[in-house]
Amino acid sequence: MSIVDFISQFAPEVILTIAALAIMLIGLGLEAKEKRALGYIAIISLVLGILIIVLRGAYELQLEGIIADSLTIDPMSQFFKLTFLLVSLIVVIASLKEYDNHPNQDEYYTLIMLGTIGMMVVASAVDIVTIFIGFELASISTYALAGFNKKDRSSMEAGIKYFIVGALSSALLLFGLSYLYGLSGGLTNISDIAEFFSANPTIIQSPFGIMALVLIVAGFGFKMALVPFHMWAPDTYQGAPTVISALLAAGSKKMAFVAAFRVLLIAMIAIKVDIAMVFTILAIITMTIGNVVALSQRSLKRMLAYSSVAQAGYISMVFVVMSPEALTGAVLYVMSHAFMKTGAFIAVAALGYMLLRENSSAKDVDHLDNFAGLGKRSPFLAFSIMIFLFALSGIPPTAGFVSKFILFYSVLEGGFVFLVTVAILNSALSLYYYARVVKYMYVLPPSSSERLALPKAYSLAILVALIGVLAIGIVPEPFVNWAASAANVLGL
Amino acid sequence: MDSVLSLILFIPLIGAALTLFTKTRESARMIALISSAVPLILTVIIYLQFNSGLAFLKFQFVEKISWISTLGINYHLGVDGVSMPLILLNAILCPLTIIYAWGENKQPNQFFALILVLQAGVFGVFMALDFFLFYIFWELTLIPLYFLISIWGGPNKDYAAIKFFIYTHVASLVMLLGIFALYFSTGVNTFEIPVLLQAFAGITSPEMRVAIFLALFFGFLVKMPTVPFHTWLPDAHVEAPTAGSVLLAGVLLKMGGYGLFRVLLPMIDGLGPYRSDIITLMAVLAVVSILYATFAALAQKDLKKMVAYSSVAHMGYVMLGAAAFNFMSVSGAMFQQFSHGLITAVLFMSVGVIQHSVHTRIISDLGGLADRMPKLAFLMMAGFMASLGLPAMSGFVAEFLVLTGSYLTLPVFALLAMVGIVATAGYHLWAMQRAMFGSYNEKLGEPHDLAFYEMIPMAILVLLIIFFGVYPAPVMDVFEYASTIIPGVM
Repeated sequence: MSIVDFISQFAPEVILTIAALAIMLIGLGLEAKEKRALGYIAIISLVLGILIIVLRGAYELQLEGIIADSLTIDPMSQFFKLTFLLVSLIVVIASLKEYDNHPNQDEYYTLIMLGTIGMMVVASAVDIVTIFIGFELASISTYALAGFNKKDRSSMEAGIKYFIVGALSSALLLFGLSYLYGLSGGLTNISDIAEFFSANPTIIQSPFGIMALVLIVAGFGFKMALVPFHMWAPDTYQGAPTVISALLAAGSKKMAFVAAFRVLLIAMIAIKVDIAMVFTILAIITMTIGNVVALSQRSLKRMLAYSSVAQAGYISMVFVVMSPEALTGAVLYVMSHAFMKTGAFIAVAALGYMLLRENSSAKDVDHLDNFAGLGKRSPFLAFSIMIFLFALSGIPPTAGFVSKFILFYSVLEGGFVFLVTVAILNSALSLYYYARVVKYMYVLPPSSSERLALPKAYSLAILVALIGVLAIGIVPEPFVNWAASAANVLGL
Repeated sequence: MDSVLSLILFIPLIGAALTLFTKTRESARMIALISSAVPLILTVIIYLQFNSGLAFLKFQFVEKISWISTLGINYHLGVDGVSMPLILLNAILCPLTIIYAWGENKQPNQFFALILVLQAGVFGVFMALDFFLFYIFWELTLIPLYFLISIWGGPNKDYAAIKFFIYTHVASLVMLLGIFALYFSTGVNTFEIPVLLQAFAGITSPEMRVAIFLALFFGFLVKMPTVPFHTWLPDAHVEAPTAGSVLLAGVLLKMGGYGLFRVLLPMIDGLGPYRSDIITLMAVLAVVSILYATFAALAQKDLKKMVAYSSVAHMGYVMLGAAAFNFMSVSGAMFQQFSHGLITAVLFMSVGVIQHSVHTRIISDLGGLADRMPKLAFLMMAGFMASLGLPAMSGFVAEFLVLTGSYLTLPVFALLAMVGIVATAGYHLWAMQRAMFGSYNEKLGEPHDLAFYEMIPMAILVLLIIFFGVYPAPVMDVFEYASTIIPGVM
């Protein structure tokens, strides 16, 4: 593959890289006030990336063996890249206001760009080393972002916690991958490894092989925030700047899913090690603990974090069912969740911004009490939060409903009646804490009757997420088709 | 006329959006009234064009657009004899409710918008011929009612609203499981309701068929509701604003009954060895509902709660008629749905007026209201008489058909249900006597009689009740044809 071909295939990544470097360099010569322009550079590059991916129409695209078999372009990679780009776009739009006049905007936007590139590399990677490099690029950028409000103790705590747990999980993952590398006699391409182990099943069924799988599951488990590897997520999401929580929950966590889809699904099918039981248990405890703990949260960010844990539980049912339909549902769920969660976090961020503008010493701006009467104080914000939350609980006609519909029906199709029953009960349970927020916004009287003026940047970011949530809910066909062809790539 | 159903379905939704953005009460209620009156006119027009005799051309005014072709999901609307009169009922009740709530002061734009969304959701349930679409509308009805209860409700509204929401949502999810199971077991790649129902009998394992049936049954059972799954209903009714109660009892509960006729009855013959067990189960639930709810109504102190229990009891007749599974009982049960929708609306409106003018609904605190509120007393009396099944009112026709029909196939259950009839007359008359007649309780102050906008809808409803009691044919004929095409109905 010539360099020109490469650039044309990976145009979004290339554009983002150039933008990241440009932002860093231009930022050197700008005053804090002028640095707003850097955000626009980031937005332009992200929009370009999105347009390229959408216009190319990735349904049928299939290119393998790029750079020593380490990268691929297929519907799966494009679907996830689109998701990551959209999430970053929404986050950057909201950040225009959140970090307006902040002296370190250049670092901020550069880190977001680099993190997004990392996620996109993981989406394309079919080689264990490349996956790891992509992971690290995205992780290190987001560690710094989580602690970006360096004067805020909880942001620092979030950053440190995220860093330590992230480093640990990377180590576990790398350790597990190194076993695979060693046991397979030096193979790094995932499908090669899978082929090797299916030809030599005794090797992977040896204690070393099992240990490798356990380490990989644990490594991914941390990144995906499956219970019992989830402890970092609520603290990090709560402490991190809210717009960054959106990036973490909808972006970097979903990156772990795409990697896990590729590594675990392909590997497990070839290896025929039955770890369905392990994932059944993981999925059930993850969704149940996520939902049950979310019930008692009074901090919206923390509640959204636990709901995110629960949603990871639903998605991880795909590792139990392992059918193309389930993977379609899971892939679609990832994109839907990206829109719903990003939207919800950005909306919470917007409220926090407005409250802090009123009273700069306000504490706990994401506390449930601050949402009382929001329907009167800021109708658009309240309405969008309501849609995001109903979408998260799976009420039609939203993205959340369509993806839950497909995911749950595929689980039932696979014959896992117990699992789907638990998932459905969980889904009903989750309605309680989502509806409570809606009740606060529309039923309870506001603490002050003053209208809150929603800054345009936030409105735009929320609007993009809202359109995404409703588009997938009302016109699901193209998304479902794309997700289905993404699922076919793995050849389940 | 090709997309008349979509028009009926979407005009209220568009109206809701417009209403939401109005600034004054006057414009909100006017837009709301217009956007629910237009569907009424359209519905009457298609009702007149609707050909009930064409049983072989089952669905009419059909619209079908592919929606998610990968899963075989279509935007598929159509009406037949089972749904057409219920659509008419919904189209009649909503504008009347809006007129009744003409004086609403608290956030009127949101109030009327929610009523319109509710109306659209119910239209959708009655029109959808695709399970996916059906489920979407089924769930869509929850949200407006949740808000109606939790914003405009009584003192204990939080509890009632969330209980209603979660309870019925869980039931819907169980129904969704049933739909999935039906989809997979039949192996047809479509969510079309008629196609899936035809394929149902082809499922090889009889246990699977029963499991699917029960899952769907549970969804409808909670919605109707049937004892012992009725506990959300009295709470919801007591706390809901009058307009919410009218629509809840008048059309939302009918969705459960509609599910019974649309989905479950065509499956009954496919149940094989379990057919008689299921019928017995339905009959037992029906009779328990009738008796339990009737006696519970007798014991209520709160007039509205009494009416709520009477709803449960009357929906029990729907279930009984369905379980008896013959031509007379099934068409009677369908008519009971229609007639109860009209009657219960009058009852809830009466209770609403009492609450509004004397600020209490506790029966023992009332007394002699007829002296000061003669118009209310007259219309309320008419409603109560219709509810207890006085001849020449629509309730009599329905219950007569249900009981006579049920006696043919389920004589023991029909006789037990008749015990309920006696007690039904008892609690209606007793409540009427204590609340409305006797000497006036001076502590109640000076109540005002019906406002004009409250009287109009109640009077129209009473006239309709009498009209359909004397001459049920316009609706009854449609139901009769509809019940003959349910497989297995004699």
